[in-house]
Amino acid sequence: MTFTHLHVSTAFSAHYGVSWPDELAQAAVSEGATALACTDRDGLYGTVKHLKACMSAGIEPIVGVDLAVFDDDGDHRTQVSGRVVVLAHGHNNGAGYRALCRLVSDAHARTSGKAGGTIPVAVTRAELASRVLDPTTLKPVLTVLLGPDSDVGRAMGGRRYLRPRTLFKRWIDAMPPRSLVAEVVSQLSVPGQPMSTAQAVRMLRLAEEHNIPAILSNAVRYCLEDGAATADVLDSARTLKSLPELSAEPVLAPNGQAWLKPPALMRELAKEIISAAGYGTADLKQILAQTEALADRCRMDPVTDMGWKQPVVPEASVLRIDQEPFLELRQRCEAGIGRRFPGISGKAEVQMRQRLGHELKIIGDLGFSSYFLTVAEVSRMILDMGVRAAARGSGASSLVNYLIDISQVNPLQHDLIFERFLSGDRATLPDIDIDVESAERHNVYRRIFDRFGPERVTLMSMQNGYRARGAVRDAGMALGMDTDDVGQIAKQLWRFSARNFREALVEKPELREFAGRVEQRYYSENQQLDMLVDLTERLDRLPRHISMHPCGVILGDATLLDRTPVQPSGLGLPMSQFDKHDMDPMGMLKLDVLGVRMQSAMAFALREVIRIHPGKAEVVAAGRHPAGPDGRGPDYIAPDGSIDLNAVPLDDEPTFELIRSTHTLGCFQIESPGQRELIGKMAPRDFNDLIIDISLFRPGPMKSDMVRPFLEYRHGFAPEVYPHPDLKSVLEETHGVTVFHEQILKTFNIMTDCGLARADEFRRALGNETEEWKVEKFFRENAKEYPQEVVDKVWGTLKAFGSFGFCKAHGAAFAVPTYQSAWLKTHHPEAFLAGLWEHDPGMYPKRLLVAEARRLGIPILPLDINRSQSEYRVERVEDGPDRGKLGIRLSLNGIFGLSGAELKRLVAGQPYDSLADLRARARITKPSIRRLAQLGAFDSLHRGSGGAANRADLIQHLQNLQNATSSRKGTEVVEGQLSLPLGDVELRNIKPGLPEPTLVDSVRAELDLMAVDASGHLMESHRPLLDRLGVTTADKLLTLRNGTEVLVAGVRVATQTPPMRGGRRVVFISIDDGTGCVDSVFFHEAQEQAGPLLFGTRLLLIRGTTRRTGPRGISLSASMAWDLSQLETLPFPGSEPAGPDVPHPLDGISRNLAITGLGG
Amino acid sequence: MGMFSESVDVDCTTAGQPLRLRWAGRDYSLCADPVRWYERRQWWVEESRAPLGRGPGLVDHEIWRVQVREDTPTGRKPALQPEVQESLTLDLVRHAASGRWRLLRIHDALRPQSA
Repeated sequence: MTFTHLHVSTAFSAHYGVSWPDELAQAAVSEGATALACTDRDGLYGTVKHLKACMSAGIEPIVGVDLAVFDDDGDHRTQVSGRVVVLAHGHNNGAGYRALCRLVSDAHARTSGKAGGTIPVAVTRAELASRVLDPTTLKPVLTVLLGPDSDVGRAMGGRRYLRPRTLFKRWIDAMPPRSLVAEVVSQLSVPGQPMSTAQAVRMLRLAEEHNIPAILSNAVRYCLEDGAATADVLDSARTLKSLPELSAEPVLAPNGQAWLKPPALMRELAKEIISAAGYGTADLKQILAQTEALADRCRMDPVTDMGWKQPVVPEASVLRIDQEPFLELRQRCEAGIGRRFPGISGKAEVQMRQRLGHELKIIGDLGFSSYFLTVAEVSRMILDMGVRAAARGSGASSLVNYLIDISQVNPLQHDLIFERFLSGDRATLPDIDIDVESAERHNVYRRIFDRFGPERVTLMSMQNGYRARGAVRDAGMALGMDTDDVGQIAKQLWRFSARNFREALVEKPELREFAGRVEQRYYSENQQLDMLVDLTERLDRLPRHISMHPCGVILGDATLLDRTPVQPSGLGLPMSQFDKHDMDPMGMLKLDVLGVRMQSAMAFALREVIRIHPGKAEVVAAGRHPAGPDGRGPDYIAPDGSIDLNAVPLDDEPTFELIRSTHTLGCFQIESPGQRELIGKMAPRDFNDLIIDISLFRPGPMKSDMVRPFLEYRHGFAPEVYPHPDLKSVLEETHGVTVFHEQILKTFNIMTDCGLARADEFRRALGNETEEWKVEKFFRENAKEYPQEVVDKVWGTLKAFGSFGFCKAHGAAFAVPTYQSAWLKTHHPEAFLAGLWEHDPGMYPKRLLVAEARRLGIPILPLDINRSQSEYRVERVEDGPDRGKLGIRLSLNGIFGLSGAELKRLVAGQPYDSLADLRARARITKPSIRRLAQLGAFDSLHRGSGGAANRADLIQHLQNLQNATSSRKGTEVVEGQLSLPLGDVELRNIKPGLPEPTLVDSVRAELDLMAVDASGHLMESHRPLLDRLGVTTADKLLTLRNGTEVLVAGVRVATQTPPMRGGRRVVFISIDDGTGCVDSVFFHEAQEQAGPLLFGTRLLLIRGTTRRTGPRGISLSASMAWDLSQLETLPFPGSEPAGPDVPHPLDGISRNLAITGLGG
Repeated sequence: MGMFSESVDVDCTTAGQPLRLRWAGRDYSLCADPVRWYERRQWWVEESRAPLGRGPGLVDHEIWRVQVREDTPTGRKPALQPEVQESLTLDLVRHAASGRWRLLRIHDALRPQSA
């Protein structure tokens, strides 16, 4: 006997379902099932995974949804009467699936897409009724299941005995004939309660009475009974109430029986219900037969019903093509040759044409021409918007992409292989990723919607699963633990999976204290901690919610919304319920349009360069650019001073000097502590070196120790070794070390003559447990011409590096913005840093980049009510010691408490001649005015007024005004001052008396209100203390010998735990002391010593020994760390007492993330 | 109604339904169809661990309500005179992992003196 479960929530029913589609399908098939349904709540979130799981388990998928229905009698916008399950009928060329998609989209259409929206995800009964019928055949293509959670089921427990019947009849009246079934569920709860046999009997009798078929289900939430506890915790997370609270209400599930029961148990259940109803064997047979009949009607054909793996692209007419897409593509490539390869001839042309023919043949054979034309259309549209864009990823391997302007990298020049991108052996749509300015990303999305029409475009979503911190918080809440206690624990959880929580307790020094508390379980609190660990592990990875994917846009034809349900994203634009893993199976064309802050920063810098300099001559002079062909500067600078960054040659020597200096903070891809170390060792000389550098700095190569031999060969410390002379041409550029995927492909091809397309398939199989041995077998059998030891050696390399080596095309695509950012930092550092501050693209807190400006001697111009704008600005300094230099004026944006509207009014009303003027026209709140004063924004106005008071007096004056009245807006004006050019009477008349604020006071205000120390470095005030401790500054480290023991101190700017060789964790902590960065590494011993300081401290004192990493690189191997703010613990030399503490800028400032880059 | 937790030996049918039980040294037989349900526990208070894969019986326990009558004594005096020996309604709980039974509640007015 088989039984088909028709009501099953997977883990993708966020905060409700427990088990993954795979587990469910496997469990079902092991009990002899031939089909299984997936009916997630509110959407088809798990549907595609379910399809995959069923196909690999060899059973047929059934798809549906569990949806809330609005109460016809209640307020239509907010009141829900219950939930129903809706199943799509199959084998009707997608009519059922189409209706299901549209219905799910209907349910979300009124929601806001924002967290905390008040409108629930639900459909009206009228919508349900209209979607049930196929619009062309007018036959039902959906079946609605009325179960225990429907309004009918919910009324069973009420006192109004006739109520369920009334509600049931309403459904019958409202729905088309043969579209309703009664879902009979008994989870064997206490007799008479919801989900009890007694209530199942009532539902069965109602169905019988009205001649509606009844089916049996178990309303499954988990695969096995074990999942019930997890379901309880999810109920708690969903309702935001603790388990004790929920059980008191009582709204928890009545028991733990919502599991995928095997057929025998389901039959027992049916028997029990039938006999309790007083029915006979015929009725037992009937309910089981009806269940299977419905299951049969709903079996889906993934191919004909759901379009499994059939790519769909926009119609030719939308692309404005009136000929065969392939011909169009070929013509556009031809047209591109003249542009990309002007004057090409001879052997080069033959080579290029051969390559083009090869690529076009593969694209044509796969029928992907429209795909390329679509991407080209999007690409052209973005460039026409004037937005910086760059293709990234393996798309750079394609000459076609280069010719039709999708990519800016010439694959022939960098020897990139097309098969790495697309081959005849792989029929899935390739990925093409486009990086655009982050600030323009949403505009780009909107343009794509406009251009292709909202019926053909939707954003892609992503699943956000539980990670350790979120899991421990929600587990703690479920147990009713104190929020702060749980928060303390959560803070210490640093990047490991919640599933290994118990393991981590043993291993990680920062969890030691917590582990101790778990161990001594002699009283109840610790018992609870033990439970906390178990529940945290249970939540691990379970989906919490979907959100807009950071870059995915799905493009299709006019039927797109028949194939994916959509819901509003936070951005307002519709978002598919499918994520990136669902794209290929569903034949969806996904374009990654990624917002890259560095592109925005560079665009900003280029605009600043034009704004500051009147023309080309000034730009050339300021940037010390070469004289160019006519002596008036290079061609990439236009007469108006605008720079065509993409046209800047990739061989600028000063740029490479900057890179080699390792002062690369702010440069794309090469600013991290690890990269600065690698750059220092490698000393890149040309663009190809940058590609190699970026490709080497990946987890794989770092982990497998590829970097050290590479550097030894490169610097000639050791002779280069090639496994065989045949491979020299392949491995020469990386001195015999295999770095790129492209090299792996060529190695396979040279040694086995397998062709590049197959070689790429082999590469993909490397590291795959079930596939790799086949590749090895093939390799060994076909590399017969080579001696055994060569084959062994090469196979060892392929096996080790194949799965994680880097695609050179990626590296090349990345290296372009890397070079461009370094070029800007070299030639126009003020504009570039202003761009960085404005768009904050890097891995560091912004304050470090402000410190970098200070290190470079760029004046940081204070906030000024009349000069500061809503953006950072480059400005020529008018007086003082820096007169004539370019400085960067701080921005009014991002000041704590200053609202967007205030900012807008403030900037629109500039300049102001008095505080009264400011109050009258900009309508700034009193607290904001006081904060502006604290930041010195009125200092020049104040000086101009001729008053004798200082900033402290002004702040006090404003504080008094603020206390005096409770009015929020400062619109009231001292009489006689409005708009009269009298200067500021108010400022002039402020009574002097208070001492001038100290530098520490000013810096503290800046950190507090802007998270940036602008007037001086925040470590400055620690200097006397540091001198007594004998601390070495960052700029002096390079003068020390390797292995010198030193003390260093500074504010934390980066904390990283990259994967390392051997699996032991290494913690990198970088601190900034005002003279530069000190990068320190904590190995196992040092982590033990530092314990909770590792992740919990802002100001660190570190003892360690210097490690020379290259001619310009030095780092520290730490042995011990202290919290600089805990004076009594510091290692003062001799028996010197700690001495009294002095005020420091960070005193009393609680914001962490913005200052140290470490949240918590 | 009283709350108990003493061990009971239960003989079941092949389908797992209680048939006879031995409790406090006496034998009883079921005199009506039993009713079975699963009842929630406050597992987060009652247990100290809830590791993944712990199996059934954490969140709820299986309860059987049985109506029994003491078997006709063979060579031993019945606890009560036959005229007052009426049926007892008992709630039994079956421990999921061990399969052992315990008495959870006794309904009805009459209780044996030993309890």
